Amino acid sequence: MPTRKMTGRWRPAKLAAMTAAGLLTLATAAACSSSGTSSSGGSSPAATGASSAPAGGAITSFPRNETLYTSGTLYGAPSTWNPYNLGNYTTGAQGLIYEPLFLYDPSKGDLKPWLAESGTWDAANKVYTIKVRDNVKWSNGQPLTGADVAWSINSASTNAANPYNSNAAGAQAAASGNTVTVTFKSTPNYAAWDSYLWKAPVVSQAEFSKVPATQIATFADTKPVGTGPMTLLTYNATETAYQVKPDWWGSSAMGLNFKFKYLVDVVNGSNNVELGALTSGQVDWSNNFLPNINQLINGIGGYGFKTYYPNAPYMMPANTAWLEFNNTKAPFNNVNFRKAMAYAIDPQHIVNNVYGGLVQAANPTGLLPNLSKYIDQGVVSQYGFKYDPAKAKSFLAQSGYKGQQITLQVPNGWTDWMAAINTLAQDLKAVGINVQTVTPEYPQRTTNLTTGNYDMAIDNNANLDSTPWTYFQRVYNLPIQSQQTAQLNWERTNSPADWALVQRAGATPTSDTASLKATYGQLEKDFLQQLPMIPVWYNAAWFQGSTQHWTNYPSSGTANDAIPSLWRGYIGALTSIYALANLSPAPKAS
Amino acid sequence: MRRFLSRKLITYLIAFVIGVTVDWGIPRLIPGDPVQAYLSQFSLQPAGYDALYKTMSEAFGTNGSAWDQYMHYWQSILTWNMGVSIGNFPARVTTLVGQALPYTLALLIPAIVLSYILGNRLGAAAARRKGLDNSVLPLGYVFQAMPYPWLALIIPYLLAVVWHVFPLSGGYSNSLLPTWSWTFIGSLLTHWFLPFLTVFLVSLGGWAIGMRNLVIYELENDSSRYLRALGARERVIRRYAYRNASLPQLSGLALQLGVVVGGNIVTEIAFQYPGLGKLLYTAIGNKDYFLLQGIFIFIIIGVLIANFIIDLVFISIDPRTRLSMQGAPA
Amino acid sequence: MSLADTLQEPGAPIPGAPATPVATPRPRRNDFFYYGLRNKKLVFGLGLELLLVILAIVGPMISPHNTSDYFKLNAGPSGGNWLGTDFQGHDVFAQLVNGLRESYLVGALGAVSAAVVGMVLGFIAGWRGGILDEILQLLTNVIVMIPSLVLLVVVGAYLNTRSVLFEGVFIGLTTWPWVARAVRAQTFSLRSREFVDLAKLSGKRPTSIVIRDIAPNMASYLFLVVILLFGSSMLLAASYDFLGLGPSGVVSLGGMMQNANLNSALFFKEWWWFFPPGLVLTAMVASLLVANVGLDEVFNPKLRES
Repeated sequence: MPTRKMTGRWRPAKLAAMTAAGLLTLATAAACSSSGTSSSGGSSPAATGASSAPAGGAITSFPRNETLYTSGTLYGAPSTWNPYNLGNYTTGAQGLIYEPLFLYDPSKGDLKPWLAESGTWDAANKVYTIKVRDNVKWSNGQPLTGADVAWSINSASTNAANPYNSNAAGAQAAASGNTVTVTFKSTPNYAAWDSYLWKAPVVSQAEFSKVPATQIATFADTKPVGTGPMTLLTYNATETAYQVKPDWWGSSAMGLNFKFKYLVDVVNGSNNVELGALTSGQVDWSNNFLPNINQLINGIGGYGFKTYYPNAPYMMPANTAWLEFNNTKAPFNNVNFRKAMAYAIDPQHIVNNVYGGLVQAANPTGLLPNLSKYIDQGVVSQYGFKYDPAKAKSFLAQSGYKGQQITLQVPNGWTDWMAAINTLAQDLKAVGINVQTVTPEYPQRTTNLTTGNYDMAIDNNANLDSTPWTYFQRVYNLPIQSQQTAQLNWERTNSPADWALVQRAGATPTSDTASLKATYGQLEKDFLQQLPMIPVWYNAAWFQGSTQHWTNYPSSGTANDAIPSLWRGYIGALTSIYALANLSPAPKAS
Repeated sequence: MRRFLSRKLITYLIAFVIGVTVDWGIPRLIPGDPVQAYLSQFSLQPAGYDALYKTMSEAFGTNGSAWDQYMHYWQSILTWNMGVSIGNFPARVTTLVGQALPYTLALLIPAIVLSYILGNRLGAAAARRKGLDNSVLPLGYVFQAMPYPWLALIIPYLLAVVWHVFPLSGGYSNSLLPTWSWTFIGSLLTHWFLPFLTVFLVSLGGWAIGMRNLVIYELENDSSRYLRALGARERVIRRYAYRNASLPQLSGLALQLGVVVGGNIVTEIAFQYPGLGKLLYTAIGNKDYFLLQGIFIFIIIGVLIANFIIDLVFISIDPRTRLSMQGAPA
Repeated sequence: MSLADTLQEPGAPIPGAPATPVATPRPRRNDFFYYGLRNKKLVFGLGLELLLVILAIVGPMISPHNTSDYFKLNAGPSGGNWLGTDFQGHDVFAQLVNGLRESYLVGALGAVSAAVVGMVLGFIAGWRGGILDEILQLLTNVIVMIPSLVLLVVVGAYLNTRSVLFEGVFIGLTTWPWVARAVRAQTFSLRSREFVDLAKLSGKRPTSIVIRDIAPNMASYLFLVVILLFGSSMLLAASYDFLGLGPSGVVSLGGMMQNANLNSALFFKEWWWFFPPGLVLTAMVASLLVANVGLDEVFNPKLRES
């Protein structure tokens, strides 16, 4: 556009000065008004809306010596505290606000009474009686009653949209004062019910009965009313702030007193940012996977970071990563081929070169160490596999595998898994299995796995639990549907005998450990002989704590061995709340 | 003029309709079912799965026939309802964008406008003075050739990690709550500076070189020669050259401002700056196609408005454009 | 405004290139070499570029290690690992030279595909005008409007693996509009010139007029455009790679920076991991830009330093 004459006058400098001045104002205003404010404990819900003053006084900053900064769970702006929204509830919704009846302690392998003072089966193992703790109050001042507990249980058992529906199948709860009687129509699934007791929240009947049944897991709960130790103070796109409730029942009943007044959970940044924040003392407690953190712990490099184990593997195992394949397809329908792969894989490659020694290789059964009392060591030593390329080649020779290419997939962007499949592919190629790695996007990958439209994948969807039942249900669940939407049996193994064993284990009362061990031992033997999937390594419950402002972080093998994780399904289910209460202020740096 | 405006408006309207249609298709075209992927985190039995699936589909408007969905989508857009995010379910897209937009505007508008002003000055000066040219030109090329990701690593490395002059990342300090206080504004400013500097530096080289080359072209073209032949003073000729050269630069500026709504994703990621670029990146990472869809609408509107403004500016300052728009031979 | 930005908004003028494509008479070949060899910018730019191209070609051969070899983790530069190792113990130098190669490949693919599409559509619209022209304008507007990043996410979701070919062609297919706009404007003005009228009178087919008579008059301009596209495609690819949207399983310069950023290289002060890839990329693009100015001066005698 050649121009010869220009008559217009354009004064960019002036405009720019005006814009620049205006923008800062804009940013401040927006930052102030975009933060959500919630009602503080003990009082009726405060008016929110345009008001930018946080409830609970004129707090503009958090005093460092009264604040614990945490990070590691949230990947986007906090949006809901609905404890039934298992995919999205904000860190702490379960645990700090809503609480379960019991807590599960993985180090001891038992259930600790929490909102329930006790829970007992009758002699026939058909009726479960819960004694609800006295003097527990909701944050709106109302007392917790047996009716609330009964309502929560009945919602789970009768409302299909309640995510705990299968855990409470067949249960019918009735309250009388603080005693709740749960009657089961048929033989209960004891294992699933145990999981319900420590995983599911107890919610207020008054609040939750207002929610349409179909929306119980999806409605936006931004003014949560819970029994937990904290109340939601305020939140914005980058952080959520909780305030410790002075009259929390646990202080008197459990002797748990928090030495901090505020808990601020920061939305995750990149690893650079997380490490920077930890070392500069902006974050105290991190549940992120931070590669090389073991170079900075126990005073190395001048940083006083703490991990759950003081030495390798540093982190507590949280779930099992399997090499998973579609068992209905060739060559995976051949047990020799599956064994060839099991012997071809060296998990140490992944442990050392992908995770820098922060994880550990899985037990051949894939069961987590907290369930070791159910692992039959005899079975494992007789039928277990280990890295042995020569043996892998001999199995491969008997498998009829002709060298056809098979694909191995993980979701795109899951960088540690992407690195892991590269080393797996190298190991498998070394014995002559032609593996091509692919990385579809997460929704596509999930569709592939639920419909069975895949060769091999990495998967880890059996989480830490108080019983091996969930793990074996995950492996053997029948029937196989065209879409395995329930996240069970994605490897499509069809073994009615094993599924019958899983059902038998579920119908065995938890107290009958002898029969349970026998049943699980049989399942482990079948698993190792058939290898419907190959356990490779344990993903870990990442944790690192900075001792700049707070000390006394939990450590395995000491009296203070609570589980330091704020992940969904960990805090408010495991013993994390003890870990928080046990923190004490760091001595002032000299 | 009115004819021109109405013609332009129709063109933009068509572009908008196409844009919204493409946008509507995003979560529907993408292989894999986002709702299914989301619900896979719930470990549900089939009955519960079906119940939740139905609720979620209603929230996302993915139930019903394709035509109903499409009409419903238009209705939502026209009522300024950009839908719901799945990664932050049930947060509304407008809420999330509203939280992020101010940061992006405060970061990018000053960076672009200031680099535009300084870059043009530098470029024009370089075209005038040989000595300056020898330093501005190579430096300009180096800045222009620098990959954003690199600069966004080097600058914080030096200024935040090696020398602790500025904070490494974030929009403001975690220890503060957003309030009208000097502490908070100070925190905003120190966190703003490094990402601003990155965008500013990379942009600066481009503007300077663009201006330098345009002015040199203008100084050498026939009209300048003619003016010279007429005996005009060199200062006058330069002023004309500078003005003529500003026009293409100006359209570049308007386009830059048009896409500001998309954020500067690389810089915002490297500095974890809580703007739209980071929101977009989070949406991509979470496979939050519904949030992506919502942000997309804002970008479309931003680009179309910017283009429209360019058109208006051009016809008001360039008479020839005005003539040609009115149908007279150019 | 950076080069990569420019390409994301295809309407913007290319800094460093004539905003107004000036059809200049073709320089005679002898003239070209005469002035070309005496133009310091051209010689410097091409020289540096040539060195880097040679490094990209022979680098992977002279590198003592493969990108998949494992060494000590996070080690600084040493005799064994010239540029140290990364968080998985991979050799950084091996990654650098392989990434260099990948960058050139993406750049070339991006430049060629954008130039081809842009020129074909630009010639057609400029030559035929009318309704075809209107459609092209609309198409251009739509491409300008759709953020390429969002498009990349949507298209990428269909792929099990993203290849270098895909990334290059994708970049080309989202950056052609400004080439098309410029070519259209040129063709528009050239088609009413006398020599084109003469060609028409002599009964030549339109395709042959465009190829034989119009294109050569823009040759120098088109050449500059391809060079700029080449540089900006490499930069754009680096940004995509940095965001994790690049080719899967391929070592790239942007990918190295992404890994460094994801794995706390800044914090651990592992500069050898993220500094070299960006430096090399800057050199690759800057030398192209300098050569481009030199070429511009050679093609356009008015700009030559006297």
